[in-house]
Amino acid sequence: MVGWLLATPGRLYVIATLLPLAAFVLLLVAGCLRGVCRPYRETNPLARFIYFFLGGSRPLRSGAFVATAAIALSAVLAIVGLIRFLDDAQSASVSSLEMEQRWAERTTWAKVGPSGVDSAVTLELGYRIDHLTAVMFAMVAFVSTCIYVFSLGYMADETEEMHEDEEAHTTRPGRFGRFFLFLSLFCFSMLNLVIADNLFQVFISWELVGVCSFFLIGFYHERPSAAFAANKAFIVNRIGDAGFLIGLALVWTYFGTFNFQEIFRDLASGPLPNGMTHTLFVIAGIGIFLGCMGKSAQFPLHTWLPDAMEGPTPVSALIHAATMVAAGVYLVGRCYPMFSPEVRLVIAYTGGITLFLAATIALVQTDIKRVLAYSTVSQLGFMMLALGVGGWESGLLHLITHAFFKALLFLAAGSVILGCHHEQDLINMGGLRRKMPVTAYTMLMGVLAISGTPFFSGWYSKDMILSNAMGFALQHREHIALFILPLVTAGMTAFYMFRLWFLAFTGEPRDLGAEHAHESPPVMTLPLVVLAVLSVCVAWGWPLWDPHASYLGHLLDKANPNVAGATVFEDHRAGWLALVAAASGFALALLIYGLNKIDPDELKERAGAVYDFLREKWHFDELYDAFFVRPAVALGYGSARFDKRSAPLEQAEVADRTMNVTSLDGVLNALGLGTLSVGRRLRETQSGMIRRYVTVLMVAAAAFVAVLVVIYLSA
Amino acid sequence: MTELGLTPYLCLGAFLFACGLLCIATKRNAVGILMGVELVLNAANVNFVACARYVPSFALEGQVFALIVIVLAAGEAAVALAIILNFYNNHATVDVDTADELKG
Repeated sequence: MVGWLLATPGRLYVIATLLPLAAFVLLLVAGCLRGVCRPYRETNPLARFIYFFLGGSRPLRSGAFVATAAIALSAVLAIVGLIRFLDDAQSASVSSLEMEQRWAERTTWAKVGPSGVDSAVTLELGYRIDHLTAVMFAMVAFVSTCIYVFSLGYMADETEEMHEDEEAHTTRPGRFGRFFLFLSLFCFSMLNLVIADNLFQVFISWELVGVCSFFLIGFYHERPSAAFAANKAFIVNRIGDAGFLIGLALVWTYFGTFNFQEIFRDLASGPLPNGMTHTLFVIAGIGIFLGCMGKSAQFPLHTWLPDAMEGPTPVSALIHAATMVAAGVYLVGRCYPMFSPEVRLVIAYTGGITLFLAATIALVQTDIKRVLAYSTVSQLGFMMLALGVGGWESGLLHLITHAFFKALLFLAAGSVILGCHHEQDLINMGGLRRKMPVTAYTMLMGVLAISGTPFFSGWYSKDMILSNAMGFALQHREHIALFILPLVTAGMTAFYMFRLWFLAFTGEPRDLGAEHAHESPPVMTLPLVVLAVLSVCVAWGWPLWDPHASYLGHLLDKANPNVAGATVFEDHRAGWLALVAAASGFALALLIYGLNKIDPDELKERAGAVYDFLREKWHFDELYDAFFVRPAVALGYGSARFDKRSAPLEQAEVADRTMNVTSLDGVLNALGLGTLSVGRRLRETQSGMIRRYVTVLMVAAAAFVAVLVVIYLSA
Repeated sequence: MTELGLTPYLCLGAFLFACGLLCIATKRNAVGILMGVELVLNAANVNFVACARYVPSFALEGQVFALIVIVLAAGEAAVALAIILNFYNNHATVDVDTADELKG
């Protein structure tokens, strides 16, 4: 077993992926056993032992430690794997064939279709490590470890036997173990997504991360807002997945395979295979991009991400900042050769609209997590824009750097929320840097990184994105908006992030919660420090001042598919413009919120309707409600009316017990009752009266004889 | 004796049969039903004997059959009376209308 596991270095990644799954299974089995033994704990000694061994009525903390250990080991293996992979990739003695053997593997687990026929659908399970995968895997595992450690402290509320949920006005059992259960399943599926070498495996992991996201957003499921948010996230994701399925079907039909390498080989060798028209190729690309749109919360499927903040803050950090939403961008990067130039333009414009839209909404939000959520949507837009204009390296570099600083920002926000005793509104905070210095200054690192301050990791990636955008826009003048939008948004990003920092950490406490704030325990601040250090230096390269010298960027570029026709344009003047934009954003935020020279309420008055429009998130939720939700609900009630009662709407909830043939229930009732009555009548023949039996016999025999006589006579 | 022919005797047999059947169908008393059964059997006997007289090839067999039927009737009457006795033991009456255990 051990021999098999260590046969090739690629198997390290298999172990690293399966470790969180093992933790999940362990937690699940333990939880189920405990639940099964609970009713018998008084009577059966074995059940009693198992029940109390697995924690009794209090959630057991050791399950969380096991899960954290598993993911930490995964992270260690990921880093070891990364080092070994880079070693192999750089050494001259390892040929590319050997690389394939050592770092890729696959096996068929199902063949759907007529047996023995080659054209059956072959479903495979496999992995293929290249630079992109190795770096992403290490990032996901490492950030996950930091978040697990943070959660050990943050979710301590859930270790109580009965936890009082103020928002839902109930008291419920603590759910510490369940959090780590779902988090482990999520990590497994995300890691599986990253190492997958075929689209079907990606799809399975895609759905699985969506399911875990549903469970984790709805973690506090007694709150209606959380339940609705979880539904919304899953349903909006599903809409994207419909497109993904269309793309998958087209890929299968014309390429005959789901494997990435085979598809890319087919695409590289000239014309589209099997008579696939260009239109269908474009549709396939759009389909797969729709899936990415849903997952990465791009316009118009962006409405679920801000609502997903109903989940616990570590969930927001992991799933909705660093990893799951990154899966969409990762897939765009992976499937890059499958996107025709038209599709890439669509991707760029979608990213452009998203980044602008989300940034404008973030300007006026007051909930600390909402600001960060819209910021995430905006940064994802940046990544999509970069990928659309041909900047493969810059988009994916921004993905990695964003993961680190966004996770840091969310975890710091969690620290703030916990420190202010579950206060999330920025209006009620203030002056926290004196009470929570570690949180304040690590968050400052994150804010500096996201604003694109020189020498911080965000600067390298954002600079490259803007230079790619500028180069592309100058080449194709009609797409100048693709440069203006990110430039303006870079300024807005700096503004709202510093607004957040100033409102929360400077000034005087504006509420009792902020006044009595306390710094978080080391189990929570240590991940913050680690992530802050990485936010600063993860994209460093030599020379430090050259934004295109990022070592990480060069690593990622080695996996660049170098699609012909997607040339990378660069214009280094964009960097200076970006700096100007960011500096002006920072200055404005400083004036309004830091030094209080301009009154924000006055600005609100003067903005008037614009402010309300932005505050209401551009009325997207109302739009979708009117166009999609209401018709669907009306359709539901209409169908119910047809079923239950062909009568007014209010009675549609009650089942029809009559035989009213205008409702479906009534027709079925009529069928049933009719059969019943026929049966009842037939039963009366068994009267038990012997004389009647004889009479019937007599009459029947006579009739029979008469019939025979008639036949005999007529024959 | 005037040669009447077969038909009147068959009619007599049929009439007796009908009377017996009616008796079985309408009598409430179990013993009355038995009487009806006897009537039916006797009707069959009349049929046999009439055929024995007027159908030449049947001369001997008819009368033998009639004897057999008489014996059978006796045996069957014995069994039926045993049943009625048991019925009386269970129901304290010979009214067959009380035998409705097979009511569905």
